[in-house]
Amino acid sequence: MDARFLAELARLVGDDALLRDPADLLTYESDALVHLRATPGAVVLPSTAAEVQAVVRLCHRDGVPFVARGHGTGLSGGALPAPDGVLIGLSRLNRILDIDIPNLRVTVEPGVTNLEITRRVSPAGCYYAPDPSSQIVCSIGGNIAENSGGAHCLKYGFTVHHVLGVEAVLPDGELVHLGGAVLDAPGLDLLGVLVGSEGTLAVVTKATLRLLRRPERVLTLLAGFNSVDEAGEAVSAIIGCGIVPAAVEMMDRLTIEAAEASVHPGFPPANAVLIVELDGPQVEVDELFAVVEAACRRAGATTVEVARDQAARERIWKGRKAAFAAMGRVSPNYYVQDGVVPRTKLPEVLRRIRALEQRSGLRIGNVFHAGDGNLHPLICYDESIPGQAEHAERVASEILTYCIEAGGAITGEHGVGADKKAYMPQMFTASDLDAMQLVRCAFDPTGICNPGKVFPTPRLCGEVPGPYRQHPLERAGLIERF
Amino acid sequence: MGRPDAATIARTAASLWGTHGVHLAGPADAVDGRSPLVVLEPEDAGTAARMLRWADTEGLTVVPRGAGTKQVWGSASTGADLVLSTGRLSAAIDHCAGDLTATLPAGASLAQVNDALGRQRQWLPLDPAFADRATIGGIVATNDSGPRRQKYGTARDLIIGIEMALVDGRTAKAGGRVVKNVAGYDLSRLLCGSFGTLALITSATFKLAPLPAASRTVVATVGSARRLGELALALVAAPLTPAAVEVDSPPTRLLIRFETTPAAADQQAAAACEACERHQAPTRVLQGDTEADTWRSYEAQLWHTEGTLLKLAVLPSDVGDLVDLVERATASRAIDYRLGGRAALGVLFLKLRGNVERHMEIAADLRRAAAARGGSAVIVSTPVSGAQRIDTWGHIGDGLPLMRAVKARFDPHGTLNPGRGPGGL
Repeated sequence: MDARFLAELARLVGDDALLRDPADLLTYESDALVHLRATPGAVVLPSTAAEVQAVVRLCHRDGVPFVARGHGTGLSGGALPAPDGVLIGLSRLNRILDIDIPNLRVTVEPGVTNLEITRRVSPAGCYYAPDPSSQIVCSIGGNIAENSGGAHCLKYGFTVHHVLGVEAVLPDGELVHLGGAVLDAPGLDLLGVLVGSEGTLAVVTKATLRLLRRPERVLTLLAGFNSVDEAGEAVSAIIGCGIVPAAVEMMDRLTIEAAEASVHPGFPPANAVLIVELDGPQVEVDELFAVVEAACRRAGATTVEVARDQAARERIWKGRKAAFAAMGRVSPNYYVQDGVVPRTKLPEVLRRIRALEQRSGLRIGNVFHAGDGNLHPLICYDESIPGQAEHAERVASEILTYCIEAGGAITGEHGVGADKKAYMPQMFTASDLDAMQLVRCAFDPTGICNPGKVFPTPRLCGEVPGPYRQHPLERAGLIERF
Repeated sequence: MGRPDAATIARTAASLWGTHGVHLAGPADAVDGRSPLVVLEPEDAGTAARMLRWADTEGLTVVPRGAGTKQVWGSASTGADLVLSTGRLSAAIDHCAGDLTATLPAGASLAQVNDALGRQRQWLPLDPAFADRATIGGIVATNDSGPRRQKYGTARDLIIGIEMALVDGRTAKAGGRVVKNVAGYDLSRLLCGSFGTLALITSATFKLAPLPAASRTVVATVGSARRLGELALALVAAPLTPAAVEVDSPPTRLLIRFETTPAAADQQAAAACEACERHQAPTRVLQGDTEADTWRSYEAQLWHTEGTLLKLAVLPSDVGDLVDLVERATASRAIDYRLGGRAALGVLFLKLRGNVERHMEIAADLRRAAAARGGSAVIVSTPVSGAQRIDTWGHIGDGLPLMRAVKARFDPHGTLNPGRGPGGL
């Protein structure tokens, strides 16, 4: 990286906020998808939106790519640095700026962690609804980039439903405000497309979020089943009764065993467990919960435990949320996949996964959001056995094919990032991807904002309007014009 | 360059797509006083895209149209050579009841859709203006919603996938048919509220809700505007989950609806009555036909009347202030009005009647007042035209250049609904 450029960076953010030492850069080489790594040219840790803006402006002036990073918990390589680019770490932008309980709004900087918001507003009986499993550590900026969900998004929606407005730095360094604390700001809904754009359109420097009141009543049920199919029937029956639970989670035998070995949630020894949570007004919840319990028993539940207090509920959720990490107890390594199928296709797809498990010789644990068809197969392998890591990756890839064939999606919450961009053409046509590129080109015509993510092939943005000029890379046949 | 004549355009269009989906425009097709030449009615998305490319190449401007219930919403059109109707984009409704989703053609009316979904006790829980005729495409294009926004949100909150026809002659889709999906950019939400300025929406997929088993509406008569604001906030702070909290004025009252199980609806209505009475607001609880009639007449007074329609948005805690300002701004000019809207969300609709000359003054007053509170006042529709009409949208802010850049990418020649969109896109 050019010495003059580095000196300018240091001038903008201060020496203590510019990392260049290879040992310091190591931390930033990957996000939580650790097998994809790259060394950034420099890491900056701005403390204000103005510093972010100044850094982005400088990058824009010199055509240097940059990547914004929250707390690095992403699972798709979305924060994978651009080699020789600038990595903008937003961890120092971590202030809660305003809490407005009467209007149920909170304004935060992007480095605030998800759970911190709920902690702060909890005394007022409020919470921030999206609850990704990593909520203790993941940042709101990252949640916005990925449109994070969580176990309770079946009823309460995703990050996009809870972000009311943002302040963001565009790839040319301009500061914009999209949406706001007041609903229905006039204008195109650019906020709607910015959320979930995986850091490829802008760097969010401030966000106003919607809070919810704690429901009057929360009831959680843990049911054991002899088979995943029976548990699936229970879910169908619940939805068929016109009930939309706050959460419906399912785990299979392997993940139950792993969770038990790790955090001892007291799950029953079953081939599948179902966690169903209802929340809302007491009368409604009590009435509907009886229906849910009956549906589980009718579908063949061997055990039904009802958590009636906070401690019991926390124990159940601890088991569920620890499922990924717990796989380390039963396998030296594991690969986490994230795919979605229409809920009614779950039994069929799970059967295919079971067959794949037998064929591949690799154990596959399944933990999933059964209410919305979001699967998280965990493919166990041992990296000390030559070729097994690659084999696991191929198995994970095949599961994605099943999701697409069932009419689903290649990612429900982890994002496309660098990891899954090659799968995008299986889900979207060239014309679909080109339409998305129209947005990309409007925000980032020079392609310096988190390049190489989401889209399968790098593209140049044509000038609009104006005469056509061939780009040198185009002439060299290295890049295709869009 | 003069505009080509209608007969020539119709002949060319018919030679390309047959006579079935092409006809000469008549007086009923006029938009903002502009007379389109020809109406095109594609029967599939691919044809719609080819029609768009043809219009774009020929330099003809295109106004997308569903049922036409909100055709004049937004800023005034600056070009309407062709009407592109979604009338024949009415393929079967694809309802996946077990998944609580449905893929709906743009031309289907919400009423038709909900009739079909209702057979399996589900629905698309939107209740926008003109809900009996409004089409799926039009609802998405205007992102219009109704009282039940309190519980269910808007089209933007429920949409999970979209298909569109672009001016480059291609069709494109985004999102999908599963509720949870973060693959690719969310163009579905970008098109919500885009007023037909980016692409023609040809179909959309939504998550659905189960039909509620019971409904109750508490009608609370509120003494003053300020008390109304406080009461609306108190209602959503209580452990209640109303489907709607609507202001209806004058006389000032709140319509508070609960849609849940019968026992819960009764209990919540009773709790709401207690909260109202603590705020000195006498109440009565409605159900069945009287409840339905009350909502019908509430909506009719807002939508089925002449005048200027304003959409006012402020923080929920400023709703009392705003209602008070509306009362004063209209009283001082002796203007009759009807005020409705989402009291607990801060999104109100004001219908000004009578002497139209005063409408813009009131709109300007309220816009200043809303802006001072971080909000907005948009002129949704008005009989006032030309120089007398103030800007439709008000201040859009520093995002406007980016909105223009997005428009320029989707529609570089300004073919689609020019002038109509936010900021006059």
